[in-house]
Amino acid sequence: MIEPNASVLSARGLSKEYGKGAALVRAVDDVRLDVARGESVAIVGPSGCGKSTLLYLVGGLERPTGGTVQLAGEKLEQMPEARLARLRRHALGFVFQAFHLVDELTALENVELPALLAGASPGKARRRATELLEQVGLEDRAEHLPSTLSGGQRQRVAIARALANEPAVVLADEPTGNLDSAATTEVLRLFEQLHAGGQTLIVVTHDERIAATADRLITMRDGAFVDETQLTGGTARSITEIAGLEG
Amino acid sequence: MGRLLLVWRLATRDIKRRRVQSALLLLMIVTTTTTLTIGLALHQVTDSPFARTRAATRGPDIVAEIGPDANAGRNLGRQFAPLVRAPGVAATGGPYPIGFVQLTGRHTNVLAETEGRDVAPAAIDRPALTAGSWISPGGAVIERGFADALGLHVGDRIDLNGRAFHVAGIAVSTAQCFYPVSSPGVIWITRGDTRALASSAYPLGYILDVNLHDPNSAQSFESGSAATAFFNATNNDTKSLMSSWQDTEQQDFKVVSVDQKVLLIVSTLLALLAIASIAVVVGSRMAEQTRRVGLLKAVGGTPLLVAVVLLAENLVLAFAATALGVALGQLIAPVLTNLGNGLLGTPPTPALSGQSVLEVAVVAVSVAAGATVVPAVRGAHTSTIRALNDPAHPPRRRPALIALSARLPVPLLLAIRLVARRIRRSLLTAASMTIAVMMVVAALTLQHNDEVRNRVAVVGTSTVAGRVTHLVFLLSAILIALAAINAIFTTWATVIDAQRPTALARALGATPGQITAGLTTSQLLPALLAACVGIPLGLALYQLAGGHVSEASPPVLTLLAVIPGTLIVVAVLTAIPARIGANRAVAEVLRSD
Repeated sequence: MIEPNASVLSARGLSKEYGKGAALVRAVDDVRLDVARGESVAIVGPSGCGKSTLLYLVGGLERPTGGTVQLAGEKLEQMPEARLARLRRHALGFVFQAFHLVDELTALENVELPALLAGASPGKARRRATELLEQVGLEDRAEHLPSTLSGGQRQRVAIARALANEPAVVLADEPTGNLDSAATTEVLRLFEQLHAGGQTLIVVTHDERIAATADRLITMRDGAFVDETQLTGGTARSITEIAGLEG
Repeated sequence: MGRLLLVWRLATRDIKRRRVQSALLLLMIVTTTTTLTIGLALHQVTDSPFARTRAATRGPDIVAEIGPDANAGRNLGRQFAPLVRAPGVAATGGPYPIGFVQLTGRHTNVLAETEGRDVAPAAIDRPALTAGSWISPGGAVIERGFADALGLHVGDRIDLNGRAFHVAGIAVSTAQCFYPVSSPGVIWITRGDTRALASSAYPLGYILDVNLHDPNSAQSFESGSAATAFFNATNNDTKSLMSSWQDTEQQDFKVVSVDQKVLLIVSTLLALLAIASIAVVVGSRMAEQTRRVGLLKAVGGTPLLVAVVLLAENLVLAFAATALGVALGQLIAPVLTNLGNGLLGTPPTPALSGQSVLEVAVVAVSVAAGATVVPAVRGAHTSTIRALNDPAHPPRRRPALIALSARLPVPLLLAIRLVARRIRRSLLTAASMTIAVMMVVAALTLQHNDEVRNRVAVVGTSTVAGRVTHLVFLLSAILIALAAINAIFTTWATVIDAQRPTALARALGATPGQITAGLTTSQLLPALLAACVGIPLGLALYQLAGGHVSEASPPVLTLLAVIPGTLIVVAVLTAIPARIGANRAVAEVLRSD
């Protein structure tokens, strides 16, 4: 059982190296991170600084070279792949820059997929997916294929999918990276709603507008944390107001 | 020159960059060209085996025989004289003593016919050794059909009328039909040994080999005045016979034609399987090439340059495959033809004509052209950006299958959705597996028929069917090997094609075990279809090849066992590529998009 305000996700001395000898690259270098339940953390930094790698490491999609990761009370680094997958099912939701929707599945079928993979009954998975599509404002696009949706709509479907199994943490990798301003606003509003509902969020971005909406802002360079700021504004103000997208 | 160099560089570098895929494509084309080479070689050698054997053994035009009898040796010169002196006769060989003997071996006790020959080679009828050496005192040479039936090999010990001999060699001849067309089977031993084995119970007879100035007149000679005079001179107290080389050929052909029919059907099946395999390979290759076309266009390549680069790349593989396929085919073909029968199936030097090599090359180049044209034309008509963003042919949506799969356990859910994505590939896989299952069922039926026949047959008399069974088993093994390679390749193609959805499924919580099971099951579904369809089709194939299913079809349980058997084999074959696919780094795949 995790105490309120205790870390739902923590990392100690986390590092990831690629290559050997002169070609050695430290994508993530001795990172320490604690994320409290309900907290929204934004990780910013230039391209190639290791933000996405960090996200994949804490999400158990990649194995670290060194250090530890603890998610929902369980240590990931030594965990067998199958157990890691089962943990991922219920503890994590992913949102990718490239959406990664399954092309031949409708929006509704994409959203219900994680629940089906977790063993939910088809009826239950369908009801949950319908609710989530309503939540992201796409109930009228439920039967549409990803190819017929706009970029913003695709990302909203991806966010709905990330929430399918009510995860402890949602990890978002450049969620607005492929979107125009209007679509970015849609996604920001959704994150605002999620945060307000107590969802723990870790968002990797180099979009300052989305970073400004977080409780905490971490700056990365060359694989390491170089700055960490507790944002006073947090989500007290409207996200779109902070991001300067209103009007 | 500069442009040619550029094309060469682009083509070879791409082959090197995608070594595994290029090797698999090469393997599939090599399999096809090998198959084709075997088919063409078999066609050549089974075309005229009698003529080949007759030429190689200096076969007689006429064989005249005075049957074994106590009186046969009397006035031998007078009895054969009408033939020796007849007009049109060019040369004679013999007379050679012949006699019936009881042959006993480890598990054998059969009647045989011995023919006494000189240790030195004869001018007419010089049996061609396929193994071992020619006769010597105490050393016997067995006719190949007879040796096959009895399971005799060079060096084996046998007893003839209780006297020990060793098998010195195995040989073929056209002086008489091969065993079992002509029964009992023939054993060549020295004249002295033949005489020593004779007794009142086993008297001697004699044969005379005759060559005519015009071999084509043998049948008219057989019914002419010389033959009448021979029969008049011998028929008073012995049984005499005469046969022309055409009579022997006709009798042998009845059996050889069975082999040819089996080979024809199997080579057709092999060709169909090869086409199915190539379609899978070319299909997945074309899907991959769309993005490459986009890349080449993005860096300034014209549609023509793009087409030339793709063609060059595929031609390199096609020519390599032709060379390897022809070499392998020529190595394998004699193994098959040696199984043939009591005739020489193998030419003295394995010779595949230039035309056959050209035919193989044409097929390989057609495959290369096929793999080039579609992506090149598609690339020319697709915008560069779209080609770059759309690396693969978009998968088809099958709503009914998607809805059905939602109600099933995760591995089946994944498997059905993978099948639904590329349904044509799955159907081609099912087609190739069906062909392999058909051959297995036909072989099982043949095997069962042999067992039924052997229960009532005298030892060795079922060798025609036995030999065909042997041939079918060997060809089945080739077909199954081809289908196995195809199954592995298809699984690998599915793994590559599905790497994004499977990586995504893992990110969403599917375990590697579930992904492996899903990928394997996606191959088991076409295998199940193939097994169900292949059983009745296999029985139909057996009937088509001249067998009678109604006489002795295998027990239903044996036939039904083909279904789990097929599934187990496919599961084992596809497990490794599926496991590799399931364990690919998820982050790497998702990040590369």
